[in-house]
Amino acid sequence: MLAAVRIENLTLRYPSGTVAVAGLSLDVRPGEIFGLLGLNGAGKSSLIKAIASLLRPSTGQVRIFGLDTRTDAAAVKQRIGVVSQENNLDAALNVRHNLLFRCRYAGIPGHVASQRVKRWLSLLGLEDKAEESVLHLSGGCKRKVMLAKAFVTEPEILVLDEPSAGLDPGARELLWEQVRIFRAAGNTVFLSTHYLEEAEALCDRIGILHHGRLVSMLAGDQGCSFAPGMAAATFRAVTGQADTDEAS
Amino acid sequence: MRFVLALLYRNLVVGRASAQLTLIRVVFQPATYLFVFGHVVGRVIPLAGQNGYGAVIAPGIIAMATVGAPFVSIGGQVLSGYFFRTLEEWLLAPVSLRTLLVAMLLGGVCSGVINSLVVVILAWLILDLTPSDPAFLLLAVVAGAFLFSLVSLVVLLLPQRPDRGREVFSFLMMLMTFFGCTFYSYAMLEPPFSYFALLLPTTYISEGLRAAYAPGQPHLNADAALAGLILIAIVLLPYADWVFRRRLGNFSW
Repeated sequence: MLAAVRIENLTLRYPSGTVAVAGLSLDVRPGEIFGLLGLNGAGKSSLIKAIASLLRPSTGQVRIFGLDTRTDAAAVKQRIGVVSQENNLDAALNVRHNLLFRCRYAGIPGHVASQRVKRWLSLLGLEDKAEESVLHLSGGCKRKVMLAKAFVTEPEILVLDEPSAGLDPGARELLWEQVRIFRAAGNTVFLSTHYLEEAEALCDRIGILHHGRLVSMLAGDQGCSFAPGMAAATFRAVTGQADTDEAS
Repeated sequence: MRFVLALLYRNLVVGRASAQLTLIRVVFQPATYLFVFGHVVGRVIPLAGQNGYGAVIAPGIIAMATVGAPFVSIGGQVLSGYFFRTLEEWLLAPVSLRTLLVAMLLGGVCSGVINSLVVVILAWLILDLTPSDPAFLLLAVVAGAFLFSLVSLVVLLLPQRPDRGREVFSFLMMLMTFFGCTFYSYAMLEPPFSYFALLLPTTYISEGLRAAYAPGQPHLNADAALAGLILIAIVLLPYADWVFRRRLGNFSW
């Protein structure tokens, strides 16, 4: 079966010489929720950027449904929805336009885009903020808009970099529900998170990234659920840290 | 193509959202220049011809719009892209880097052409000046706006941080405005300044526009001015493409 995400011997080296990811290989199956855990600076965001075609591999390659992120970047981006760790909303636009233009950039016709935007604004409780500049939103609301942007183009793979950071418990629950619905439709999710309970609750498999290397891979019972605390115990064992925030 | 149009439309929406500032920049600022240099300063600078100094300065003020507007358009995108990470949003769009480059350049060209045509209308209203060769004027404006869209991209994306590029552009603009025949025609210059002016692209835009307004008045050869603009743009295009790919192909901002 063609992997949804195939990472082969990937190394990401910044111009400063910092090696963010070193010789990483990994396959994510279609329909799987794959979680990446790691301390700050472990290389999670760099890996996410490489999957999203924002960073070029120094060596190795990343393939999305067989498409090389280096040579087929446009086709890759057509199939993925990305939530970056940092806010990348268009600060000159309001909430509705941020979502509408996301659709327009992806070539979605105007009337379809309007319907989808309306649906996601309603789903995330952002209807009353639709005409507000994104500059005036709270951190949590900005995060919701970023999530809506990732979903609104109806991609086949969601690439989420700490998606629930800054969300209140209700919004986090809503996110988890949407991720599960997304997967139930046969789609794939690749997410990095700081929250061990989020990884355990959502993911089929969890990879632990440490100093740019994949040091452990955990699979849930029958590929679908983890015993509570399993990921935490393994994380402690391989990183020597009690939780993902300790090194920050 | 859809992405290019979407980004142009986005620029329009952003411009409309800040309509007052846009109006000041596009209309009131050049109108003030035209009035002051055409009617106030023009009276104390005796020059032959129907419109005196106004006929010399108006093409220069149009040229300033031609070179300044692309920088406002592209600079706004790059600076907001850097400080608010909006560039990441565009880089995540399912298009090639070259399409993004084309969209940004086209945005710069459109902005330059529209702003320049507004000043052309203002020059007609304030100084009663109309171009003798409107087609050549349009050609010079398009070529100039394209060239300065390339310059804007290079200057903003070459340094590690685009805000440093903004400082460099301000300096270059000052140099090119004062030495590049915007406030006077090339024919008024004597060596060594006339030689130096030939190195500055604003000279070719201003002189091209002077040729379009008053072919009978002394100015740099119109064909030479246009050829100069196109030549500089051809030389700069691959370099701008390289700078764009180098900075955004591996997006580490």
